[in-house]
Amino acid sequence: MLPPIFGVLFDGIAYGMLLFVLSVGLSVTLGLMNFVNLAHCAFAMVGGYVTVTLVNTYNWPFIATLPVAFIVTALISVVFERVFYRRLYRASDLDQVLLTIGLAFVSVAVAAYFFGTLQQPIPTPAFLRGSQQVLGLGLGNYRIFLIVTALIVTVLVVAGLEYTRFGAMVRAAVDNQRMASGLGINVDATFAITFAIGSGLAGLGGALAIEIVGLDPSFSFTYLVYVLIVVAVGGLGSIAGSFIAAMLIGISDIAGKYYFPELGAFLIYLVMIAVLLWKPSGLFGKR
Amino acid sequence: MVDSMADALLSLADVRAGYGDAAVLHGVSLDVPKSGSIALLGRNGVGKSTLLLTIMGYTQLRSGTVSWQGQNISRMSPHLRARSGIGWVAQEREIFPSLNVEENLTTTARAGAAGAHWTLDSIYRMFPRLKERRGNMGNQLSGGEQQMLAIARALMTNPSVLLLDEPLEGLAPVIVEELIDAIKLMLSDKRLAIVLVEQHTEIALELTTDAVVLERGTVAWRGRSQDLRNDTATLDRLVGLRVEPDA
Repeated sequence: MLPPIFGVLFDGIAYGMLLFVLSVGLSVTLGLMNFVNLAHCAFAMVGGYVTVTLVNTYNWPFIATLPVAFIVTALISVVFERVFYRRLYRASDLDQVLLTIGLAFVSVAVAAYFFGTLQQPIPTPAFLRGSQQVLGLGLGNYRIFLIVTALIVTVLVVAGLEYTRFGAMVRAAVDNQRMASGLGINVDATFAITFAIGSGLAGLGGALAIEIVGLDPSFSFTYLVYVLIVVAVGGLGSIAGSFIAAMLIGISDIAGKYYFPELGAFLIYLVMIAVLLWKPSGLFGKR
Repeated sequence: MVDSMADALLSLADVRAGYGDAAVLHGVSLDVPKSGSIALLGRNGVGKSTLLLTIMGYTQLRSGTVSWQGQNISRMSPHLRARSGIGWVAQEREIFPSLNVEENLTTTARAGAAGAHWTLDSIYRMFPRLKERRGNMGNQLSGGEQQMLAIARALMTNPSVLLLDEPLEGLAPVIVEELIDAIKLMLSDKRLAIVLVEQHTEIALELTTDAVVLERGTVAWRGRSQDLRNDTATLDRLVGLRVEPDA
């Protein structure tokens, strides 16, 4: 029999996995492409509403909606990238912030217009309800599913970046845009595809989040805080850093709410402050 | 140089170019024939690197044209110029630090107009040291290894012309010898033209058939490399006396 702290740890890890899927795309755009995309969670919200619509209106099975949430979000984000973001790649941080925070506000209004301001629940499929008894702990099926999904995503992202030619092109373009283009890499297209994949993962995260934290139009901003903390604590552009940071923040948040209810959601800020005092550029940050 | 423009692989006609408001090149014309070899000489700051960057499309072209195989490429983006067969070896080598040696070679590799003459095998035969180092990251190499990798990386795109920007700068004599042999090998099978910017004037003139000397953004002298080697007065006036390495 394990003490309850392992149950808290399990919930924290599951929550951390969710934060990782939500934030890994931002780590790439902010850390590798140097673009401050504060509308990242607006893209995550798109994925959430895609799943809500498909499940509630068209009776799709939840699992089948996840790839669609990824693809639709990726496609929408690449339109925004081509039309708006691309023009500001060499602009100041402030210009990028003003554009993307504006888009985040617009996303809140658009979501409220089409879906109302209430939470959008979806029925959980039967096999993801309930829990498994393991050594006296009740481990929620949905959280197990979340952890497995996030681990698959992690392996795919890391393998894609480290072991594919496209991943090598992304790293080359990030290292040195001029030299990369001088050898024939289409840097613009490479960044657009990378951005789309990162946003698509946010969309997947938004869909996975419905069951855990719910979905309403404020999602764009509520989770922006979390993903920014994850990226800052992990270090810009480091996938491993984002993963560790997401675990740390996820566990701190759940443990804080469980053991120190009066401190509540504030514990993650203390963790962030402590890490950044120790390592100002984040756990795995290079700059 | 060449008799008519039509024979030129790469051709610059009255090119004026620079960065922002600063003009560096004030009307440069240059023809690179197929499998030709041109030494681009001149003192520091006369615009040699700028000329190569203009061929690649990284400067602001104010007037004049850059033509490649008879086509005006003045407005073509750099990655398309690279894909059409222009290979560029930058002065600072600019190896990708996040890629290992083999990834630096393969990530941008492609078959050129004349097929895939340069492959990992032929590159590793020419630079066995790169094979030994193939798992090392780009930032874990000596200066000489970086230069070999920079040249090899450009060759792996199977270009029709290779623009070399001071490939021998700051390297030990033994490495310089190795690179000279490599450049001779590249030129020997007549698949490749080179434009060689180099401060080691003697070596550059030995490796090439033709020479162009720039002064203050214009062409001050052009002719056979052989003639310039023997013309000490012109060399003194336009290039300056240099201490050659013991080559």
